[in-house]
Amino acid sequence: MSASQIRFFTLVRREVNRFFKIKRQTLGAPLLETFLYISVFGAALGTRIDTLHGVDYVVFIIPGLILMAWAINAFSNNASSILQQKFQRAIDDQLSSPASPLQLLLAFSLGGFLRGMIVATLTFIAASVLVGIPLENVHVLLPALFLVGFFFSQLGVLVGVRAEQFDDVSFAQTFVLQPLIFLGGVFYSASLLPEPFRTLTHFDPVYYMIGLVRYGFLGISEANVALSLLILTAATLALFTLNHRLFVRGYKLRA
Amino acid sequence: MRALEIADLVKRYPNGTEALRGVSLNIETGEFFGLLGPNGAGKSTLIHCSTGLAQPTAGAIRIFGHDAIDHYEEARLAVGLAPQDLNLDWFLTAEETLDYHGGYFGMPKRERRERTKELLETFSLTEKRDDRTRTLSGGMKRRLILARALMHRPRLLILDEPTAGVDVELRLELWRYVQRINEEGTTILLTTHYLEEAERLCDRIAFIHDGQIVAQGTSQELASEYGVTSLEDAYLELVGRMELSRAKPEEIAP
Repeated sequence: MSASQIRFFTLVRREVNRFFKIKRQTLGAPLLETFLYISVFGAALGTRIDTLHGVDYVVFIIPGLILMAWAINAFSNNASSILQQKFQRAIDDQLSSPASPLQLLLAFSLGGFLRGMIVATLTFIAASVLVGIPLENVHVLLPALFLVGFFFSQLGVLVGVRAEQFDDVSFAQTFVLQPLIFLGGVFYSASLLPEPFRTLTHFDPVYYMIGLVRYGFLGISEANVALSLLILTAATLALFTLNHRLFVRGYKLRA
Repeated sequence: MRALEIADLVKRYPNGTEALRGVSLNIETGEFFGLLGPNGAGKSTLIHCSTGLAQPTAGAIRIFGHDAIDHYEEARLAVGLAPQDLNLDWFLTAEETLDYHGGYFGMPKRERRERTKELLETFSLTEKRDDRTRTLSGGMKRRLILARALMHRPRLLILDEPTAGVDVELRLELWRYVQRINEEGTTILLTTHYLEEAERLCDRIAFIHDGQIVAQGTSQELASEYGVTSLEDAYLELVGRMELSRAKPEEIAP
């Protein structure tokens, strides 16, 4: 292994090691949260809603829950990890190493991406055991989930780099991310909404992400699948390019 | 070859503060060099520019002949930084702190393991190797930071006020250690507020004031340049506090 590869894997190892050291908070809590969503929305509400687009309500919401688990964990992990290290100035150890801006960005991104992937996978396994989940279009599902994970990883990095206090991270998560995810249709079908809310939902980017993931699992989607995939790819690349420019400039990382 | 060459270095912060105003400085290989100056003079900014923690506005920095600003990889491999702040990662143990640092500098696993063991023993931290850094005492954290800076065997060691706030015993211990590694060939750049520390350890000393190097030489040369008899008096001349420091308390009381 070259020195550059050792450097990159050590940077990633640090990020993964961090969330495993506090796994009750970073892995246990999100799993419990998802289990509660399935119980409350699936078991309680599901007895009254019956089916949506021809599938049981509890099955209908699970793709959205898997997406939500990956998105929120990828975002919060990266935002918190970067801010925490900036706060302690422990990040100087990485910044003064020979690591390139690209290596630093990818390593910080992968921490959250992998945490989100673990929580999403465990959610999928638990949901499969509890209710049984179909896998209709794996060729769409996998790229869609990977793109969603990477998009929210990048968003977490961006917020973490910009943040100056922990309130900045919780503000972004509570007042921006969670409303977008909830209003994107995790727990309902946008087609059931009255106007103007149905049209407004179409301006929420998460609506298209949920459409893709739901199409991957259940084979149903309210949005154009190919167009959604294209837009998600473009948005992820744009965010990654922006973050890379910030890392090259050392924005709020180097004085 | 020069260990560190700084030419016309300017650092202007976004708020307009000019922390370095055309600093030029050369440190020869094997030297023990001291950088003295009051708070806010630009010592830490100069160190941060040399180690990639701050981006210079203008000027050039070369470390053992390698560009430290644009093509920094070789330059950074040659530098070890022990910063003023105890900036240890709370999530890591003492052993992991050294291991990860070695990894950031591309050291293979076996070499990291051996070097970590050696440094933990050298700095009397072996018993604390599995303890998280936040549980260590201040003195242990200071020793761990010095061990971390030495992990990748840097040829230039930068010590930013390494003995600030440490007890006398640890200070003497750190002095002995840095003197030994300097004798073994490591070039050292030291910033400190303790004049006796600079006088005892350093071959040459530079005074930095208001973002500029205003004088440099041996402590005797600096004393004679300011027309005084000691490094302490030369420094006080520099910062303009000589009269204040010698005044009787009743003369400066409000």
